[in-house]
Amino acid sequence: MIHHIQNKIYHVEVLPPKQDSEKLEKDLERFSNKYLRVMDSGYCACITDNAMGLLSFQGTEIIEELDLPVIPEQVMIHLNTFHTKDDLDNILNICKTKGIRYLLIITGDGSERLPKLHPSDVGATDVESVTSVELLKYINREYPDTFVLGVAFNPYEPEEHELEKMERKIKAGATFIITQPLIERNEIVDRLLEKYPGIPVIVEAWMSRKLHLLSEAVGYEIPENTEFDPISTLKMLHKLYPGCGVYLSLLGFKTQYHLIKDTWV
Amino acid sequence: MKIVVCIKQVPATNDAKIDPETKRIIREGMKAILNPFDTYAVEEGVQLRDKFGGEVIALSMGPPKAEASLREAISVGVDRAILLSDRAFGGSDTWATSYALAKAIKKIGDIDLVICGKQAIDGDTAQVGPGIAAHLDWLQATYVMAVEEISSSSIRVKRMHEDGYDICEMSFPAVITVVKDINTPRVPSLKGRLASNKCEVPVWKPGDIGADTSKIGLNGSPTRVVKTQPPPPRHTSTKKIEGSSIECAQSLLRELRLRSIV
Repeated sequence: MIHHIQNKIYHVEVLPPKQDSEKLEKDLERFSNKYLRVMDSGYCACITDNAMGLLSFQGTEIIEELDLPVIPEQVMIHLNTFHTKDDLDNILNICKTKGIRYLLIITGDGSERLPKLHPSDVGATDVESVTSVELLKYINREYPDTFVLGVAFNPYEPEEHELEKMERKIKAGATFIITQPLIERNEIVDRLLEKYPGIPVIVEAWMSRKLHLLSEAVGYEIPENTEFDPISTLKMLHKLYPGCGVYLSLLGFKTQYHLIKDTWV
Repeated sequence: MKIVVCIKQVPATNDAKIDPETKRIIREGMKAILNPFDTYAVEEGVQLRDKFGGEVIALSMGPPKAEASLREAISVGVDRAILLSDRAFGGSDTWATSYALAKAIKKIGDIDLVICGKQAIDGDTAQVGPGIAAHLDWLQATYVMAVEEISSSSIRVKRMHEDGYDICEMSFPAVITVVKDINTPRVPSLKGRLASNKCEVPVWKPGDIGADTSKIGLNGSPTRVVKTQPPPPRHTSTKKIEGSSIECAQSLLRELRLRSIV
């Protein structure tokens, strides 16, 4: 992952089509175009896993079905705990076969329609529910030396609790960290960087103008009339966190993509 | 085994609007989903077919757009689907709906088992499954939480009720309605979804199933909704717990115990 930071490789979020899409073929084509554009730019395409509990198709099945090229350094799959054991192993096996190495392991958001892994599915005997920690342990145990595993850090949660969780994630085998979206300097992220100087940290830049969506996503209240320019904020984050990589969430492919080329200098 | 799974497309909202005149849900412009309880019925049908062989058929009655829910059932493994759709079916209550579905089941023929979700989330009546059994004069078990055993001529199920459960054995053909505990419904795969888009879903009209038109639609529905109103608002209050993490946790636990929640 350090290679991504040294070579200024952006992590670009690409959302897969939703399960309830009424124009699935069109949405798949759109996904494919975005994915290929990220590949062509030399960036890393990060495919979400039922983000916010909204049922979507899996990145791995889309890559397989559409026969999209996988450049190992340029693809990251999010993987959460809302799967059946069979689905989980299926996703991991496709990643292995296709050469997808980067996985972002998160606990994730559930929904009525999403099954949840049971502790016994991942060989966990000491917990009542599966979190990213148990999933990390399982992948490291069952798929040794196959994947580069990252985890999420939420600076909007109580710091003590979040850092304690991070310690367990690192012990379970996480080797890089991606923060929740930042729109300014964050002291808790600063302390995370101090605590783990050897672990690559990628800060997430919120690229949507709709700040209320960020409030809803992370429970971080932002005043309604806050002035916000995503591209300026992105440039500011590079200055504030020069040693970190950057993950671009909700990037506008039509309106913003061409602007990010010169932002990481 | 030949199985029919009856499914319903329902509004994807808890904020359904009611037509003040007809007292029925206004479905126009509302996003629709497969009734969540029916996903368990579909999954059970697919699992039984995978285990014992045969065919599983999804059946629904509704407007043309209900075809989307039937395609969803195909995308998770159902072999084929049939939609009952015609203006004459419009306004059917649970009795008329179960009559039409029973007529369609008869037309499909040689069915061993009909599976329904325990109820639909829009009407919440839980009457259509039992209604189908009544119209067909077949044995039925409602609120099934497990299929214990199946032989060539019978099925043994575990039924959930308030005080525990019953074990019931029924000869085929039979109708069961299922609860959430019965399985974990699979999420449609992309491959399945793309394949389902290519399937043909035949639409049957009253004449196709030999339905007596006086027994369907508003004319065939004995139910009259006299008044509909939302439940009274709940009185809630918020209490802020302050202190250290440990103090907060202790206070929360105390509050929950006081209310017999834990």
